[in-house]
Amino acid sequence: MSASNGAAAQTTEESLEARMADKTITLEVFRYDPAAGGDPTFQRYDVPYRSDWVVLDALNWIKDTTDGSLTFRWSCRMGVCGSCGMMVNGLPKLTCSTFLKDYYPDPLRIEPLANFPVQRDLVIEFDGFVEKLKSIKPWLIRNDQRDPADGELRQTPKQLAQYKQYTMCINCMLCYSACPEYAFIPGFIGPAAIALAQRYNLDSRDQGQAERRKLLGVQEAVWECTFVGECSAVCPKHVDPAAAIQQAKVTSTIDWYKRFLMPWGKK
Amino acid sequence: MKQSNEAFWWSLFSAGGVAAALFLPAIVVLTGFVLPFAEGDTATRHEQLRELIGWWPVRVLLMLVISLSFFHCAHRMRHLLMDFGVRSTPLLLAVVFYAGAITGTVATVVVISRL
Ligand code: SF4
Ligand code: FES
Repeated sequence: MSASNGAAAQTTEESLEARMADKTITLEVFRYDPAAGGDPTFQRYDVPYRSDWVVLDALNWIKDTTDGSLTFRWSCRMGVCGSCGMMVNGLPKLTCSTFLKDYYPDPLRIEPLANFPVQRDLVIEFDGFVEKLKSIKPWLIRNDQRDPADGELRQTPKQLAQYKQYTMCINCMLCYSACPEYAFIPGFIGPAAIALAQRYNLDSRDQGQAERRKLLGVQEAVWECTFVGECSAVCPKHVDPAAAIQQAKVTSTIDWYKRFLMPWGKK
Repeated sequence: MKQSNEAFWWSLFSAGGVAAALFLPAIVVLTGFVLPFAEGDTATRHEQLRELIGWWPVRVLLMLVISLSFFHCAHRMRHLLMDFGVRSTPLLLAVVFYAGAITGTVATVVVISRL
């Protein structure tokens, strides 16, 4: 490239930046304050458009410059903590990984994660979710009384590969927002909790499968799932919770036939 | 902890999925296209086909493929309706669809065993 060409490219880039500085993008944000009473509303904000901004940057810009009362959760800004999940134009997204440029020049509608009670604005209540995670006993269960002095429980890379994918979950709850079954049955323990159960069930060091399989065999566990598959489609970490549910259905079915054909067997 | 019986219907559903995906297309292609359009005398081919169906493993296979496909369909339709919000009468829904699949199975067995 000749020197003059390079200079021309630079000027175009600069003018592009300059033009972008005046550009704005509209965010329609869900607002709700239970203390103030009244129905939820949508508030429009015009936010400067930057091609490298994500939705969370826009929300922070609103909070810092325009409206300090806007309430939302975030922490890491890099898709790790799982706290910034919201509905963006009707789809559950991590707002720290959702770029404005993918929507520009259309307006964006930002709502709290669907299928959860709203605490305020974009903040949802997730106690029920945490209870569900705990309910499937997400820890290594051992029948022997080991203590640290007995040394590590070793694992081959192949054994690790069995469950590793399910350890990638960041508890962002996008899968619950995407699940039409969860919308109908709030008691459904849901995709992430079942993926977490499989994370331990498939771990060679764990001996709690029998306990967890009983927990998974009830209606509100794997059997509410009708394999819509949206959980895996929206998961930002490619955990594939739908696959975990299918695996759990297979083991649960084997258990059912065992009980049916050998009712005298171990309960 | 009450274990769900959904596992039973689901097992028929998944077996039916395999049957419908693997065997049904092969059977349709074979009996609907390959044989009718093959060279040679139609009457002889018809006789050959009847002979094949007279063989009991083939009959059992046919019955299984058709019956399991019915159960696959029944389970999927039942859950499809539930996904669309038809949830006030879950028992009725289950009875209607699975009774349909059972009726289909009985009809299949009767028809095939009379062939
Ligand atoms: S499975 Fe995926 S979508 Fe669901 S909570 Fe975990 S990371 Fe989020
Ligand atoms: S802020 Fe942590 S995942 Fe988005």
